[in-house]
Amino acid sequence: MVTSLELLERELGDSLLAREVRGPRRADVSVVTGRHMAAIKALKAAFPSLRLSAITGMDLGERLAVLYHLRLGGSILTLRMEVPKEEPVVESITRIIPGADLHEREVYDMLGIIFKDHPDLRRLLLPDDAPEGFHPLRKEVEARTLRPTETKPVLQPVITAESGPYLTLIIGPQHPALHEPERFVFKVDGEVVVGVDIRIGYAHRGIEEAAEHRTYIQDLYLCERVCGICNVAHSLCYCLTVEELLGLEVPPRAQYLRVVAAELNRLHSHMLLLGVAAEEMGFSTLFMYIWRDREAVMDLMEMLTGNRVVSSFNRIGGVSRDITPELAEKMKDRLRELRGRLEHYLEVFESDPTILVRTEGIGLLAQQDAVALCATGPTLRASGVGFDVRADDPYAAYSELASFEPVVMKEGDDWARYMVRLKECLVSVDVIEEALEKLPGGPVKARAPRRVKPNEAVCTIEAPRGELLYYMRSDGSDKPARLKIRTPTFTNLAPLRKMLEGVYVADIPVTLASIDPCFSCTDRAVFVDVNTGRSWSCYLDELGKQARRGARAW
Amino acid sequence: MVKLLPAIIRDALKTLVRALVGRPATIRYPEVEVKVPEGFRGRHWLDINKCVGCGLCARDCPTGAITMMTLTLASPDKGKKPRKVPVFDLSRCIFCYQCAESCPRGAIKPTKVFSMAAYDPHDLVLDFRPLLLSKREEREGQLSGQQDPHG
Repeated sequence: MVTSLELLERELGDSLLAREVRGPRRADVSVVTGRHMAAIKALKAAFPSLRLSAITGMDLGERLAVLYHLRLGGSILTLRMEVPKEEPVVESITRIIPGADLHEREVYDMLGIIFKDHPDLRRLLLPDDAPEGFHPLRKEVEARTLRPTETKPVLQPVITAESGPYLTLIIGPQHPALHEPERFVFKVDGEVVVGVDIRIGYAHRGIEEAAEHRTYIQDLYLCERVCGICNVAHSLCYCLTVEELLGLEVPPRAQYLRVVAAELNRLHSHMLLLGVAAEEMGFSTLFMYIWRDREAVMDLMEMLTGNRVVSSFNRIGGVSRDITPELAEKMKDRLRELRGRLEHYLEVFESDPTILVRTEGIGLLAQQDAVALCATGPTLRASGVGFDVRADDPYAAYSELASFEPVVMKEGDDWARYMVRLKECLVSVDVIEEALEKLPGGPVKARAPRRVKPNEAVCTIEAPRGELLYYMRSDGSDKPARLKIRTPTFTNLAPLRKMLEGVYVADIPVTLASIDPCFSCTDRAVFVDVNTGRSWSCYLDELGKQARRGARAW
Repeated sequence: MVKLLPAIIRDALKTLVRALVGRPATIRYPEVEVKVPEGFRGRHWLDINKCVGCGLCARDCPTGAITMMTLTLASPDKGKKPRKVPVFDLSRCIFCYQCAESCPRGAIKPTKVFSMAAYDPHDLVLDFRPLLLSKREEREGQLSGQQDPHG
């Protein structure tokens, strides 16, 4: 951290406006407009493992602020820059960090900041036919004054077949079980995917804006509903961020209980995905077995928090309820049984020919690509990068738990991404057992004030899908002035594009599911032959069936 | 011999044997009662004697499901402010129990009641005022949505 600040000071000189160390692993620097390129270039040269965690855009009234949250090992360096509202132009950093592509598009979409030299600056979350110059996170925008546009929405094939006999294959956006429904436009050469364009925003609910109109207490439940499956991760990250703004000390017992809830959540999320993955491979038996065993985790979650899925367990300053000694014993018993089952699944995933033939060597993501495209979570760890927020930037009680160790694999294919998750399940069982063993006494909640003094905080946690980042700015009232949420799937989309290049059409479902976007098997795919204009449709399980039959050209 | 079979087949055979001798996994709900664990967050129970009518639950409710309503529907004593209690609209409620967290007197508690489906949204208004009103007031009051919180 200190070395990176010294480096920036040397590199930028007078262009470095301010520097502030906010914590052991947090620092803020402000730079003169336009000098961010030099700063990020120097940092990337000195720290090759540097990844972009998020870009936050903010409307400060007269000016717009751009905040680059850079991940340097366990630390987060926030690079801050302001641009005038009349001419909001910033140079794109995609040449230094290719993974910044979608992050910059989001900031452009929401705040109208134009990133010069960006390869493809289009709308990302808002519809393509949104009015020109409409950027909803600008303070002057009034949603009520908005009227439907006259222009008819056009579904433009983003990748057109300018050359060669490529087909455009559209998958989505109707993904009933995916928390971020996406539309994928594939450019296919026969059976092989040549290029892919991802369009998201179909489930955009304006939560960042809504959070500015609700109190800190009400926002907790709003954020918990960003994602149903990893709700504990979201509520925990939200609470940590508010607690950091307040400078609030959370009782140790609550810290341990938070670990228990977070790891139960991870178990349930990973087992859900492994089951879905088996289904996508055409291995329905395994899907049912894994989901049956997942019920044990759901029951434990219900006993601990009072509900199977949405836990409402984390509260600002602690947790909502204590654990009884009987429940702790019961939990240990159930987890012992679950460990046996997980070891069995480990054997299945390592040896079963159905799984190996569908996943080994498919959807490859090399280590340098994973870093350059800012992958996170199991997607990153399956490509040989040993980064886990729980180990490198510990929160709650993780720094005190000896049994936690990040799972890293080298292969970088679909199989490795599933194996990382399966092994993480076993680690989670160990962590819960140790946390229950070491559970300290005392209260489970500290009193939190309703108003928060002006401050800024960045918090990250390891959600089941990867690093989850919350940035919050308070202004002294009982409502946040800005809340930025960067979910792990968002940053894993750029690596996903890389993985999908070169896979067979029939392997698309398995590869999509390998980054864990809660993929559903009922998806409908539309095939359009751009040369003849003929279009037809099929279900994604048809694609899977084709694969099982030994796919040939359609 | 058995070791030669793939792991999943061995597991499937075990499951098959268990399924042949064991009881069926299906529970005949709703004919058979389903047990929910202690501390389940179901329908609310308001201890109306503990409630001081401060309105913190209504202020903190993330979905605006709680409205503070006057306790007696008959005209209150002159010059005295009418006492208020929370009335829950379960059609908006997300069962997070922030209300119980905010309550300074611990007057709101969860019950194990989870089957709350109704044909009319008015039936989902959970109003505890009738419990305290005398029979006469109850006749005059015409309260809707009166329910026994324990089902």
